[in-house]
Amino acid sequence: MSRRELAGIAAVFLCTVGTVAGILAVESHRRTRQFTAELSARQPDYGNWYPGTLVVPYGQPVRLMLRNIDTVSHGFALPDFKVAVREIKAGEVEVVQFTPDKRGTFPFMCTVWCSPRHLEMRGKLVVE
Amino acid sequence: MTSLALLILLGVVGDRAVPEGAEKSQLIEVHARRFAYEPNIIRVQQGQSVQLRLISEDVRHGLYLDGYALRTQASPGQEGTLKFVADRTGRFPFRCSVTCGEFHPYMIGYLVVEPNWTFYGGLSLVGLLGLGSLVTVFRGGGPPQDKLFGLIPLGWRFELTRFRPIRALFKSRWFPLVPVLVNLFIFTIIIMAALVGGFGAGNYNFGIMIVWILWWVLLMMFMVPVIGRLWCMVCPFPLFGDWLQRGKLVDVGRQKSWGLNKRLPNWMRNLWPLVLLFWVATWFSGFFTVRPMATFILLGVVIVAAVVVSLIYGKRAFCLSFCPVSGFQGLYANFSACEVRVKDPEICKKHTPKTCVVGNDQGYGCPWMELPFDLNRNTYCGLCLECFKTCPHDNMAFNVRPFGADLLAERKRTDDLYHRRSTDEAFKGLTMIGIMFAFFLAMQGPSGQIKDMVRGKTLGGYLAFIGEAGVTDFLVIPGLFLLAAAVSRLVSGAGGVRLKDVFVNFSYCLVPVGLAIWAAFSLGIIFPNGSYLLHILSDPFAWGWDLFGTAHIPWTPVLTGAVPYLQAAVVLLGMAFALDYGFKFARITYPTLQQARRGWVPICLFLVALHMFFIWLFVA
Repeated sequence: MSRRELAGIAAVFLCTVGTVAGILAVESHRRTRQFTAELSARQPDYGNWYPGTLVVPYGQPVRLMLRNIDTVSHGFALPDFKVAVREIKAGEVEVVQFTPDKRGTFPFMCTVWCSPRHLEMRGKLVVE
Repeated sequence: MTSLALLILLGVVGDRAVPEGAEKSQLIEVHARRFAYEPNIIRVQQGQSVQLRLISEDVRHGLYLDGYALRTQASPGQEGTLKFVADRTGRFPFRCSVTCGEFHPYMIGYLVVEPNWTFYGGLSLVGLLGLGSLVTVFRGGGPPQDKLFGLIPLGWRFELTRFRPIRALFKSRWFPLVPVLVNLFIFTIIIMAALVGGFGAGNYNFGIMIVWILWWVLLMMFMVPVIGRLWCMVCPFPLFGDWLQRGKLVDVGRQKSWGLNKRLPNWMRNLWPLVLLFWVATWFSGFFTVRPMATFILLGVVIVAAVVVSLIYGKRAFCLSFCPVSGFQGLYANFSACEVRVKDPEICKKHTPKTCVVGNDQGYGCPWMELPFDLNRNTYCGLCLECFKTCPHDNMAFNVRPFGADLLAERKRTDDLYHRRSTDEAFKGLTMIGIMFAFFLAMQGPSGQIKDMVRGKTLGGYLAFIGEAGVTDFLVIPGLFLLAAAVSRLVSGAGGVRLKDVFVNFSYCLVPVGLAIWAAFSLGIIFPNGSYLLHILSDPFAWGWDLFGTAHIPWTPVLTGAVPYLQAAVVLLGMAFALDYGFKFARITYPTLQQARRGWVPICLFLVALHMFFIWLFVA
């Protein structure tokens, strides 16, 4: 096999498998380094907050990645720790930071009228 | 309270009694629900001051008014208002500015400020163009047969490959492989983003936006009309099939595929399979263009099919008879301003064996199963450039030429053998008109009912959409055209001419027409929605990346006030080409000038009526 042929084959692998592997590696490194927890937002009809119950350890700062994977805008509020995001647009990511200094179970909810069942779009934060 | 009631009352009865400049404004309530406004068409008089209340009935919606560049928002229980003086006349789409669901980019209504001079002007110009054509045809002998618009000789060519670096590039085995590899990389990201995007919003997905905004618009507005099958040259999808067939990726391997290497049956060697496949693909347009997962499935099916077909049949059978977007590219490539042709036919006559067909150690025999030494039309030339590599005499040329030169090309033996240049190309041209109409209604029209049908809200509505599209594309539009052709044959007095020939020959008028209306449609996509591209380039997977610092640029419609004028101009340009070539087709179809003149009248009137309809569609 000529060197030209080998170079071509290497390029094909780089453009396909290499690209996917590279992107996934960068992303997983970025997430573990920058965030401590992740929450996906969807209308109640299509899955609601995921995970519905978020467990975080007491006293350690939380960097929460809020992903709107829906087709409408959502909002986020966690009143007991005074954190909120007014609007997370569809396909966008917002970040909130707080330190859980209380133990127990606290509600978080959507703050944008996202669907007829908007008021059911809520979840629980458990601080252990 | 009474004054408010009076205002509402005046608004309802159309408030024409109030003199201009009065403070009394017309109050209009617009109800928004996914994915339509009610009323969806608002008519006001020029100079009227308008107060618009936006009331949302389900989720948060917005309203952006093209041309006036105004916007407001409303949530259930929270109204939005806009106050403005309708001083600009014309039709102005207003569109949702808050992502409200998968069909959000298509949530549109129209504000028509009367008198709509753009519409009247467009209609007059269409009428004038038609009249001009008839006058030139009947005063003189019509436009000269060998010149475009009586000015540019159709035989004019400028050879780009006369420049040494370009010929060296075309002869290199790395070209067009390198652009193919670049596209392979881009499409890897597209497919990955479409999978990651899942059922999320299409307007914030890299896959959807690159394929259906950037690629589609580039294809319809630049690649096909100017260069022809440029996309086929750089398309990454046949790469794996080629590799498997040849055993080599860059170097020259086997000329004969080690797959089953079957021969495509003759009845498939024309555009009919592609006419039907593209039409079937458009059934799913309400999913592909808004749902990342649907685009993922579509691209996945194309990739797998390309490999499977290449293992069953020889060469580029997939591109020739299975790729849904190959058909219109092939037909419309005949209009393009570029071509691959032989320089000196005498050299080819003496040259045996024909290395451009059988291949040699420099390259493969034509993968598109053409006879490059005898090429005279672009339909089936995929611009893969293998013939530049296999020709030992450097006798292949890449030429720039006048638009539409191939529309008058002579028939060849292969055309008759494979039933090409017959009803296949006629129906490709005709169905593309109906498909554009359906796309326009679903994506840029004001009817929420049609959108619900296209997105498959109910199965019955969805089946009705497919049925109606089928009737329009294959019966109504071809039927009307057949009627025009029959009348043309009748009034021409040329009894010996077959109706099928009249129908097929004049159908090539629809090539520039189709290109123009698709370009006009594309303008209505790229100007309002092009700004999404900046967002998705920075954050391709919706993971919160910001590669180029443009991730937080909000949706910004650009120059939407100019879009109707541009659309009308493009439609008129297409009509000018159709009229100029149309009479040339008449001369080819009918034996004498008299018969051609008489036979041209019904076709010309058909084109005038068709373009008045397009002007209405785009600006009224």
